[in-house]
Amino acid sequence: MPVELITGNQAAALAVQRAGVELVAAYPITPQTAIVETLASLHAQGELKGEFVSVESEYAALACCSGAAAAGARVFTATSSHGLAYMHEMIHWCAGARFPIVMAGVNRALGGPWCLDPDQGDSLSQRDTGWLQLYCSSAQEVFDTIIQAYALAEKIMLPCMVIYDGFYISHTYETVDIPDREEVQRFLGPPSFAAQVQPGLPANLHGLSTGETQAKLVRERHRTMKEALAVLKEINARFAAAFNRKYEPVEAYFPGKIKNVVVAAGACADTVRWCLPRLADTGLIRLKALRPFPGEEISLLLEKQKIERIVVVDRNCSTGMGGILAQELKAALYPLNSPPAVYDLILAGGIDFTPQMLQRLLAQREPHRGFAEIWGVDLL
Amino acid sequence: MNSKINFIQPEYLHSGHYACPGCGAALAVRYLARALGPDLVVVITASCWSIIAGMPPLSALKCPILHCPFPSAGAVGSGLRRGLDLRGKHSTTVLVLAGDGGTFDIGLQALSGAAQRNENFIFVCYDNEAYMNTGIQTSSATPFGAHTTTAPYPLFKKGAKKDIMHIMAAHGIPYAATATVAFPGDLEQKFRRARQIEGFRFIHILSPCPPGWGADSADTVELSRLAVETGFFPLMEIFEGGAPVLTYRPEKRVPLEQYLKLQRRFRPLELQQIETLQQGVDEEWERLLKAAGPV
Amino acid sequence: MNGEQILEMEKIYLNVVPSTANKTGEWRLLTPTRKEKISPCRQGCPLGGEIPAWLNAIKRNNWAEAWEIMQRKNPFPAITGQVCFHPCTAECNRRNLDEAINIPAMERALGLWRLQNCRPAAPPRRVEGKIAVVGSGPAGLSCAYYLNRAGYRVTVIERAPVAGGLLALGIPSYRLPREILQQELQLLQEEGVQFVLNCSVGRDMEISRLYDDYDQVFLATGAALSRMPSLPGVKLNGVWSALDFLQQVNLGRTLEIQNPVAVVGGGNAAIDAARSAMRIKGIDRVTVLYRRTKEEMPADPEEVAAAAAEGVQFVFNVTPRELKGEQGRLVEAILNRSHTSGEKLIIDRDTELRIYCKTLIFAVGQERDWSVFGTLHREIRLCAGGDLISGPAAVPQAIQAGRIAAEALAAQLEGKPGPDPSPPESGAVTFEELHLAAWPGLAARGRQEDPSAEAERCLGCGTCNSCGICYLFCPDVAVTPDQGRYLFDLNFCKGCGICARECPARALMMEGGW
Repeated sequence: MPVELITGNQAAALAVQRAGVELVAAYPITPQTAIVETLASLHAQGELKGEFVSVESEYAALACCSGAAAAGARVFTATSSHGLAYMHEMIHWCAGARFPIVMAGVNRALGGPWCLDPDQGDSLSQRDTGWLQLYCSSAQEVFDTIIQAYALAEKIMLPCMVIYDGFYISHTYETVDIPDREEVQRFLGPPSFAAQVQPGLPANLHGLSTGETQAKLVRERHRTMKEALAVLKEINARFAAAFNRKYEPVEAYFPGKIKNVVVAAGACADTVRWCLPRLADTGLIRLKALRPFPGEEISLLLEKQKIERIVVVDRNCSTGMGGILAQELKAALYPLNSPPAVYDLILAGGIDFTPQMLQRLLAQREPHRGFAEIWGVDLL
Repeated sequence: MNSKINFIQPEYLHSGHYACPGCGAALAVRYLARALGPDLVVVITASCWSIIAGMPPLSALKCPILHCPFPSAGAVGSGLRRGLDLRGKHSTTVLVLAGDGGTFDIGLQALSGAAQRNENFIFVCYDNEAYMNTGIQTSSATPFGAHTTTAPYPLFKKGAKKDIMHIMAAHGIPYAATATVAFPGDLEQKFRRARQIEGFRFIHILSPCPPGWGADSADTVELSRLAVETGFFPLMEIFEGGAPVLTYRPEKRVPLEQYLKLQRRFRPLELQQIETLQQGVDEEWERLLKAAGPV
Repeated sequence: MNGEQILEMEKIYLNVVPSTANKTGEWRLLTPTRKEKISPCRQGCPLGGEIPAWLNAIKRNNWAEAWEIMQRKNPFPAITGQVCFHPCTAECNRRNLDEAINIPAMERALGLWRLQNCRPAAPPRRVEGKIAVVGSGPAGLSCAYYLNRAGYRVTVIERAPVAGGLLALGIPSYRLPREILQQELQLLQEEGVQFVLNCSVGRDMEISRLYDDYDQVFLATGAALSRMPSLPGVKLNGVWSALDFLQQVNLGRTLEIQNPVAVVGGGNAAIDAARSAMRIKGIDRVTVLYRRTKEEMPADPEEVAAAAAEGVQFVFNVTPRELKGEQGRLVEAILNRSHTSGEKLIIDRDTELRIYCKTLIFAVGQERDWSVFGTLHREIRLCAGGDLISGPAAVPQAIQAGRIAAEALAAQLEGKPGPDPSPPESGAVTFEELHLAAWPGLAARGRQEDPSAEAERCLGCGTCNSCGICYLFCPDVAVTPDQGRYLFDLNFCKGCGICARECPARALMMEGGW
């Protein structure tokens, strides 16, 4: 198994190539651009088979993917920020139409003003569209998750976003194990889902429906998505057996008895993990899956511990409400008898998350009861 | 007169579809489906045809229909074509069906993208000259002088209809053509020709809308005919972005007023406005004749 | 798709059924209806024949249907196809495009089809009622046909030794081949019509006896008396009436007529006599003498041309004044110049022309023969028709009279009101009214040999000619082709009215309601 020193974006592109993706529709946007550039170069070298479509917009990229997926093809696109926002209508549509598309979402702040830093608001804005959302903390995980995402999406016929932070992961070189194409193909197999559009077979795909029909479809999608956690676990187990790397929808790092838990997703979680040996009584819950939301798993993890305080690292802000992960987490705390205090560390604008911030937060002696909103920008 | 047509051919449009009585768009699709035959898949973007196609599990067409969001038609068609090719379905014709909104306005970007990439499918604009499905709002295909619900009397559509054929021809696509339902032989022939051509093909069909135009539902074919006979909507083909080839040349052009007077959307049009329209048609006609090759 | 997760979606989107489950006919406010308007050919036809309708059936190669339509107005197309002068074609709208439809040829073709394919003819189911038809000319035969078809027992009584009346004895065989007449008569007999020949009612049998023996009687003895002018010399040998002359020819008698022959008259009988004379062995000089100009001749121009082509000479603007003979035999006719002034004929008594002729045939009119009434003293309810009532007319008029009489008699026997003598429709569909712009592929195309191809040229002119435009332009695919015809499927017709607006023949209308 060759180990390469590559960026997260290159890892994503290699995963796409290894996964046997048949159609890539791409449009450039920082910090995602390197993915499509790498894919274009793989295509040019004949290593990426199938179709590479340089479309005229992100919207068209996803629309193009949807058309090919309707014909039963394994497809990929990638975007960031404004590109993701521009796709919004198609993002809903693809989930409703049950196209198993995999898309890399590289976090970047949405304007105005123009800003390139890795605010998660772009992907979190798409939280309710019916896409699976898997957040990655390393280039290796990006590679592995894209492979897994195809297995998952094609199994349950829902599209999947594989999300990671711009620059921290997209542009940072890491050592990544890159299994060869045959190994990945052995794990993944060719696309096995039936084409919706089959010439000669009449169909009226996604035509006008009543609210009642729509309700049934949404219910079906919702239930399927909830069951996806179990499916993802199975896939993880198979993946671990094949590649000796293991991921969980929710990962807990509890070094002994702890009083504090930091909840984070993406690159921030890796920063926290680095900090753990330097912090007392503190553990980490890394959210990998945000959709489906592993609420029950989180409550079970917290129930066993006497946690006083949870710090949520939110590199985003839902204006007028606060950090989005914190909101989601609070829903998971609802079954607990005496829920811990929640500190919501808001890093909106995609500002840097530093160990010092965490240390300063945890050093506060008097924990607030209930809920506190702390702006990272004030801690810089 | 009209190109010879085999009247009785297999039909791929089912009765019971949801089009209004006298719908030009329904008739247009009936003809083109006859011409393209059974190995066809149709992408339908938001338009009257989103409704006409029927509420699943009903379907008005005998072939697969893939609905898609409003601006996406050109891109979805691109993806579907390539997806089918990946599965070896090279012989299947992919047809994208869009209204004038989905072509002239919100769909123009994806259309232009697909045309520029010379994607291998047929893009059909059935042009009823306004947003009819939402209730007659002005589009950039609405002709000068027409009333819509967003240009109610005493307002009227200012500015000329966007010249989509010029735009498409400028892309240098292998084939672009206009057609109307009054000339079904011509229409079907153009689709049969289009089917034989590789690459991006654009066919613009003027499709009268009785409620939207304030016309008698019985006049749909007559209006389509007058549109051609007046020179308002010339029937042509453009190969590789070259000179337009007229597929029908009226012996003597009928005064535009005859076409306008059958439509309440042009009422009350003042004499001066009619003259403006007539003058526009005359100038465009002269320009076309100069550019055009022989019939 | 994959797995059970998306069963609901599969159910909705992939297992589609045709939209025909949606009966859009319920939306309809107006319904397309075939509302036939009269065509120029129909208006021109003395029989009121439904010409576009039977042409339409021939176009679809449905000859049985064509015959069914034809016989509603004309039971003898094989005959009329030969002898009718076909005013139907004169105004045919197709002339404005290329050439009139060849209706006579089509009529003959249909008549021959009937003679070949309706044999042996099946006698109809009988009903109570015996009917006598006096006279076996076209009126009598037509009446017999319709009454027999209606189930009555019909006996035709003919004074001549052969049946057919004028058809057998008046019309020359070159115009009506006798085997056609024989086949028609044979068919009538096979269908159950009885013929009594050599029986002259009024002479051999009292008319009142018929009223004792039959439930109804139809008198159709025609206008078979020749009118002879009261000129000096008409009793000379060699002077004939056209009817007598033609009758002798038609009976196959050897006539002692000699060259040269003059025929006086300008009607069809004159031409018949002249052309028949030319056909007699040894006769090669025949001249028609007509009192007015060529343009004023009532004879069919085609017949005149045919006569001229056969060598018949014409002298116009002459009227015979006196016939001169030697030893009781005609040798010359003395003529005056004459011409028309206004409606009057002016004869210039001062001019004198002589024409050497050994035979002279007068074809100057016929008169009705009342002898059928004999010495009738009883009050009877008369039913009579044909030339006996109208005076001399043509074959189709007589056939028409026979049909109307049959309807009237049947109605009387059945105690029903008689046929409605509605005035003939007027205002035939004009060429300008036709909507030919709607007809893709319609192009100028002259007469065709093949009957179906020829019938296809018919523009309908107010009658559905199965052109298929209604089918072609229906946005709802609610017009169904059915063996060349087109049926409206009211389950789906939304009543938009395009079919009626575009109908090239103008045979469709939108009517209110469901």
